[in-house]
Amino acid sequence: MEIKGEHEFSGPKELLYELLLDPDVLAGALPGVERFEEIAPDTYESTMRVGIASVRGTYTGRVEVLEQAPPDSYRLKIDGSGKPGGVRADASVELTENGPGTTMHYRADVKARGTIARLGGRLLGGVARLLIGQFFKSIEQQVDDRAA
Amino acid sequence: MTIADGPALPKLIGERVKRREDPRLIQGQATYVDDIKLPGMLHLAFKRSDIAHGVIRSIDTSAAAAMEGVELVITGAELAEHLGPMPIGTPFPAPDHYSVATDKVRYVGEPVAVVVAEDRYLARDAADAIEVEYDELPAVVDPEAAMEAGSATLHEGFERNIAVESYWGGTGVNPETAQPEDDSAVDAAFAEADVVVSQRMLNQRLAPNAMEPRGVVAHYEPGREYLTVWSATQNPHILRTLVAALMGLGEHQVRAVAPEVGGGFGCKINIYGEEYVAAALSRLVKAPVKWIEDRTEAFLTTTHGRDLLGYIDLAAKNDGTITGLKARIIADIGAYEVLLTAMIPTLTGLMMNGVYRLPVVRHELTEVFTNKTPTDAYRGAGRPEGLYFLERAVDMVARELGMDPAEIRRKNFVPPDEFPFATQGGLVYDSGNYEPCLDKALEVADWQGLLAERDAARAEGRIVGVGLSFYVEVCGLGPSAVVPTGGWEHSGVTVERGGKVTATTGASPHGQGNETTFAQMLADHFSIPLEDITILHGDTSVVKQGIGTFGSRSQAVGGAALISAAGKAGDKMKQFAAALMTDQEVSPEDLVFEDGRIQVEGAPEVSKTFAEVADYAYVPVPLPPGMEPGVSEEAFFEPENNTYPFGCHISMVEVDRDTGETKLLKLIAVDDCGNVINPLIVDGQVHGGLAQGIGQAMFEEVVYDEDGQPVTASFMDYVMPRAADLPVFELDRTVTPTPINPLGAKGVGEAGTIGSTPCVVNAAVDALAPFGVTHIEMPLRPERMWRLINEGGQS
Amino acid sequence: MSEPVPITINVNGRKRSAMVEARLLLVHFLRESLNLTGTHVGCDTSQCGACTVLLDGRSTKSCTVFAVQADGSEVQTIEGLADGDELHPLQDGFWEEHGLQCGYCTPGMIMSAVNLLEDNPAPSEAEIREGISGNICRCTGYQHIVNAIQHAAERMAQS
Repeated sequence: MEIKGEHEFSGPKELLYELLLDPDVLAGALPGVERFEEIAPDTYESTMRVGIASVRGTYTGRVEVLEQAPPDSYRLKIDGSGKPGGVRADASVELTENGPGTTMHYRADVKARGTIARLGGRLLGGVARLLIGQFFKSIEQQVDDRAA
Repeated sequence: MTIADGPALPKLIGERVKRREDPRLIQGQATYVDDIKLPGMLHLAFKRSDIAHGVIRSIDTSAAAAMEGVELVITGAELAEHLGPMPIGTPFPAPDHYSVATDKVRYVGEPVAVVVAEDRYLARDAADAIEVEYDELPAVVDPEAAMEAGSATLHEGFERNIAVESYWGGTGVNPETAQPEDDSAVDAAFAEADVVVSQRMLNQRLAPNAMEPRGVVAHYEPGREYLTVWSATQNPHILRTLVAALMGLGEHQVRAVAPEVGGGFGCKINIYGEEYVAAALSRLVKAPVKWIEDRTEAFLTTTHGRDLLGYIDLAAKNDGTITGLKARIIADIGAYEVLLTAMIPTLTGLMMNGVYRLPVVRHELTEVFTNKTPTDAYRGAGRPEGLYFLERAVDMVARELGMDPAEIRRKNFVPPDEFPFATQGGLVYDSGNYEPCLDKALEVADWQGLLAERDAARAEGRIVGVGLSFYVEVCGLGPSAVVPTGGWEHSGVTVERGGKVTATTGASPHGQGNETTFAQMLADHFSIPLEDITILHGDTSVVKQGIGTFGSRSQAVGGAALISAAGKAGDKMKQFAAALMTDQEVSPEDLVFEDGRIQVEGAPEVSKTFAEVADYAYVPVPLPPGMEPGVSEEAFFEPENNTYPFGCHISMVEVDRDTGETKLLKLIAVDDCGNVINPLIVDGQVHGGLAQGIGQAMFEEVVYDEDGQPVTASFMDYVMPRAADLPVFELDRTVTPTPINPLGAKGVGEAGTIGSTPCVVNAAVDALAPFGVTHIEMPLRPERMWRLINEGGQS
Repeated sequence: MSEPVPITINVNGRKRSAMVEARLLLVHFLRESLNLTGTHVGCDTSQCGACTVLLDGRSTKSCTVFAVQADGSEVQTIEGLADGDELHPLQDGFWEEHGLQCGYCTPGMIMSAVNLLEDNPAPSEAEIREGISGNICRCTGYQHIVNAIQHAAERMAQS
């Protein structure tokens, strides 16, 4: 399944790039994150709790940041699994200047397995959008805090 | 001499007799597998693969094993020390298939480990606590891509994922080379044709979905070295044979029981890994064990049906005479060959002769492994696929020629004086009289009226179509030459003291009503009341031998065995009766059964009651010379051929222009299944078959995503036909008895499923024909129909 | 696993008390704890209706209700439907009209129909089909089930 979209942020792209790859910021901004640790350079392990319908559960996963080209783009490889199954995603993120703000374009190829794929498959897009929305809101807040 | 003045007993064969099974079922008193509880019984749960294809890197069972109440956790590799690979029932080459995967997983849902625990919830929790790591491999999902060089392969030794390849037709195949000796006649027929239609069609993958999921209780008694297996199966005797073989036991050490079974539709023919595992683990943990499938597991692991892709070419002359057929069929059989997997698609080509004189045929079949649930029989099993391809193609020719769909079929029918009729594929149709059946269907449906109604609706801007199909199918499986399990059936008939009758049948029913129809037959045979008869089935310790219920064989093979055993028992009853009437110099040949008596034909005053004779048989003083006491006889019936029922289905559909939703307005089915024992039950069989055939046409499809993840694994996503989706079916019959068995009955279990699918799709194509549509793939999803209305072309 | 919870449910006119796990489904309470195995389980997503019982008089899929939620309620199952030896008109209708084949969906189908006829004693064919659309039958194609419910409706109207 492909999930893609764009989002407008108020700050400059250099700031956004920094925030989006700061483990402490991510730990605070990702919804339901209970743990977010750097286990190797640009590789993180996290535990995340999702409380939505048939994809409800605790997931442990690994995030790798690849192809970093600050402040324009990077790629993420995500592999998470929990009792309801697992999700693997390959995501690319691009930041472009948009006046004083920044536009983020994101695109992810998501592969689900287990109950998530079977029962949650049709929820997955919606759940992802919900979580991504929460994440962006939180990043927005951080941008505003830095600007303040 | 006393004459019992009992009431005259009406003949019951052909009568609408209420089912004798029903009182227990409508009061919640029946016993299905999940209703069985044994002292000390433990519960199984399976850890299943959640990926489609991969090598098992590690399995961590420690957390599961540490849970209180967990008796045993065992992986596939460990279990392989107790259970070898599962046997199959076809002669085709097959890769090893273990009950629980040992090193590699090949479909989502394949078991990788098993938990034995004190209760069902706990077993499930423990299975969830097992951690499995895989090295994932690319999933093979598209059967055509699977055959390309460079595709990932599922099994070593099966290059390009090909399980079975066969080729026949033309003027014959050289058995040495398996190549056609001379195929020029086929090419010539197509070169000389006035019209050729060519269509790629998918007969999509379906989930059988018997309402009772599968389940098994196994109890191995160590001191006796005796295993009892209760299973939701269509064939307990085959279960006994195969479980015994895999457990290293003799058949004398295994009792298999099919208690009340909640539907089968072909998916409970296969003997599954869970059945072997339950037996093996009961022996291992020295306790009875139970496993009950949940619906999601059923979608993932109970065999699927159909999934045949057909490239069909049909040639004809301008007058509608069909001159040749070419069919290239690719069967997506899923990850493994199970009991009958590889055989099912072979039936498709064989049945593609339909009801027509077909001068030349070329048939190619390739069966391909993919990372999906294995396929096996599903109601119709090979025939619905073949008849769908053929009846769609015939309809396309009719449309191309501007012919009435009924008339093109009439023109090509095998005429009644050509039976028995040998087809291109080597089958011999036993009997048939197609034209009266077509005429009756046209009359019941008011065909001309339907066409006028359609045209009037179109004039109002509605999207309405009518469709017709004419099928022939094959029932009464055997004979033994073509059924690897044996194609006979067995029955026992015992006349008890007091003149009551207990009969057994190896045709183990799961909704077909054999307890009623078989009792009707015996009631007529012995001229005794229905209430005096009990039909027993489904337990190998009671029913000495048997094959089972599939391929619409209960009546045509099982019923014939019953009548044969009843004949033997009746002969003995007559001998005892004659011995009781020695003073009247009665010979057994002069005696008949009449209203509870055994009497000299035409002379009711010379008689004994059935009960008197039965009592004498068990206290035979004096014992007639040369006779053994008692009346308990058995018979095997081996059919010399199959039976070939046929029928005509007509339907009318309307498609909503705005939503694309298709509504089935009418369905008329005129079926000919030979002689009918119980019209109520036959109607019920037809209704159920129609609903499943319509389900395939309109609603149902198993869908996998590109990674081999099943996305229709619950009733939320797999659309089952519901009451409001179906119209009132209009049924009628013609009767063309079969000469193959003494009953003249052909079988009816699968007929409805076979005729209705092409009938409904033909109607849908007719509805969308004004939009330039020539073919629609199943199911007739609203989105698909909407696109065709708005964009035209094919789907 | 949570601590067992005490519940009391009136089942088919009899008070039944038990200590149950909070996650125990009503259908499993009926089947496993009370041995009322006439109520069946046909799916795990509340689509098929095989587990339908009357909960305080309303047809309810007993796989969607925890036993603890039914605490203090009245439950009627297929086993409690007949009046002694006399079948309920719906049971009789299903028998008379061949409204069942394998019988697995039948108890749930009948319990749904009981509620349907209570709400609408003279339903049309379309209303019956709509009314039982929460129950899946794979055997009958529903036609004889519709006949069975009509048969029962007529009989109940006469009495």
